[in-house]
Amino acid sequence: MVFIVPIDSARAQFPDYTFIAALTPSAQKSAFHVQRAGKDYCLKIIAPNQGLDRVQREVLAMQALDHTNVVKILEYEYSAKAGQVRHYMVEEFVAGDDLSAHFSPGQPWTLGKIAAVFAPLCDGLAALEDNRIVHRDLKPSNVRMRPDGSPVIIDFGLARMLDMASITATVDGAMIGTPRYFSPEQFRGSKRDIDHRTDLYALGVLLYEAAVGRHPSLQPGMQTMDELSDAVCTSESFVNDTTFKALTPRLQLTVRRLLEKERAKRPTSARIVAKVLKDLGGV
Amino acid sequence: MRRGTWHQCGHNSQILVAELMEAGLGVGAIISPKDLALDKAKEYAAQYRGLGKGVLFDPQFYEPEFAAGKLGTYPTAAFRQSIGALGALQPSVMTGLAQALETENRELGCDAVIAPAIPYEAARPDIVGLNARLFDAAKAAGDAIGIPTYATIVLGHSTTTLDVAQAILSGATALNADGWYYAFEFDAQQRLPTDIEAVYRYGTAGLTLACTGKPVLHACAGPLANISYGAGARGAGIGIWQNLWGFTRSKFQPATAQGGGGDAPPRYFSAPLWGTIVHPDETLQLPSGLHARVMQHSPYSQNLTPGVPWSKREASKHLVHVIATATEPLAQSADARQAMSAAIATLVAANALHGAIRSTGVQLRDSTDTYQSAWAAAGTRLLANNTDDYDWLELSGGP
Repeated sequence: MVFIVPIDSARAQFPDYTFIAALTPSAQKSAFHVQRAGKDYCLKIIAPNQGLDRVQREVLAMQALDHTNVVKILEYEYSAKAGQVRHYMVEEFVAGDDLSAHFSPGQPWTLGKIAAVFAPLCDGLAALEDNRIVHRDLKPSNVRMRPDGSPVIIDFGLARMLDMASITATVDGAMIGTPRYFSPEQFRGSKRDIDHRTDLYALGVLLYEAAVGRHPSLQPGMQTMDELSDAVCTSESFVNDTTFKALTPRLQLTVRRLLEKERAKRPTSARIVAKVLKDLGGV
Repeated sequence: MRRGTWHQCGHNSQILVAELMEAGLGVGAIISPKDLALDKAKEYAAQYRGLGKGVLFDPQFYEPEFAAGKLGTYPTAAFRQSIGALGALQPSVMTGLAQALETENRELGCDAVIAPAIPYEAARPDIVGLNARLFDAAKAAGDAIGIPTYATIVLGHSTTTLDVAQAILSGATALNADGWYYAFEFDAQQRLPTDIEAVYRYGTAGLTLACTGKPVLHACAGPLANISYGAGARGAGIGIWQNLWGFTRSKFQPATAQGGGGDAPPRYFSAPLWGTIVHPDETLQLPSGLHARVMQHSPYSQNLTPGVPWSKREASKHLVHVIATATEPLAQSADARQAMSAAIATLVAANALHGAIRSTGVQLRDSTDTYQSAWAAAGTRLLANNTDDYDWLELSGGP
């Protein structure tokens, strides 16, 4: 269930901020575009049902990062005074729109646009790798597009630090996330198999959507999660799409590697993918 | 990782390795603790480094309970225990293992830390988990010294299908390694593998590792080194004795019988045969035309006299010289596909030469003509079925 805080209620809780607009909420947070001292921010009020440990893990993960293609966390607070709990974070506000606004069915991107957006997106993912962070919920609405066209990875609601002893804190983690961008290991529910290559699978889905103009596994008439799971875990019919077959061999290969069922066959690093995409031309 | 032949030490071969290095052969040595006490290992390591060669130390946890003999002289001996006991070690004890690995690798002046690991087996997530913990200890040691850490990946004999191999590699390659020290457990009854499927799995798994963009060193490769380079290896371990060819777990168990090969006559490794022939027993039987084709000499075989028994030491050095020299162009190639094509050509030609020998009625010992065609077939299949792997390897910079 989505956690919604009415904007007037949020204003009352945070009088230091000017509330501009409510942003898309999630089960974990209610988000707002706010201003303070003339600067724009994203304020996220964290749902009370979110475990403190998990949120603090997210904050820890994000604070370790300083990369132009990854959103920056600026402030975090958890306090409980006189029965009043304030649990929120303030992030860099990324103006622009979501990557989803750039996807239109049947309208593949040009090679230049693919390189211009996906190479820096890979740079951002590489920064996550460097900090041993797996996003686990990479999807169009979690990639903001600045007005200059550069992507920013946001919303680390499901992120985890790979080398933290508290990995088991997300025992239920198998089926959280967004199934449309789930990897085979996420569908299989094998928590121990989730690593940064899980994000690279989601990147492959995004790249396929951009390059081909449709999702690689979703088919017309598909109704259930089981059908999607079967397609993701067993089918490779996406390679038969005529638009896909018309892509350059290099781009086809990159997408195929990203969408491999076995993690061992996927690229080991977004950095390698970035290099390949930069060589596509246009960047 | 230095590119090319790594001398796979073992069975008291340290002096021969030094002699080969002095002759310019090989880029380094992989020291085996089972056969060499720590103090002596330090002496040889210093000698190898003095020759400008690399040094690696394989901690050999393949039978983790085995701690007898020279292994007891190393700090890691305290951690040699059963898989179950190792899995139950507390983090504080693993810190001790990291310190022991650091001590050993620092004192030997290693180029990189090779992580201890148990051979991976099908449907054994406990081994994946244990190897991850052992790797973490090695990584801590490598980071403390400031050198790379290679994860050890030995695919055990239960890796009987490609799917199993790939599933194992998915877990193993999750390790934050700087390279891979790779071996494959073939049928222990064979001196060299003759099963096309097994060699194909070996090559495919090696290629998968190479596609990670991290360097791969194929341990105990021996004559299989040509297939190794065709599967994207950057280095291949070659031992002077035939019992250093191929990974077998029995090497790391207490010996049950006298080894050493007794008084068996020395074998002559022939590059055109890509195998051995007994000298002088078998070489004397060859018609002169075939004799000239088979006997292609190295600096260690030039004084070979027809009909006169040969020195085993010279035969051993000749063997390494031939394999290292023949595979050197493959090692230097940045194109694994090209290396595999060259390896296949060598093996096909060897198979034809064996056929020519058989047609004269000469039957060579050691089953020395039984594997070349299988390896060529496996290599051919690798090229045909793994085009994406080769393309990706090339796209991401080659081996």
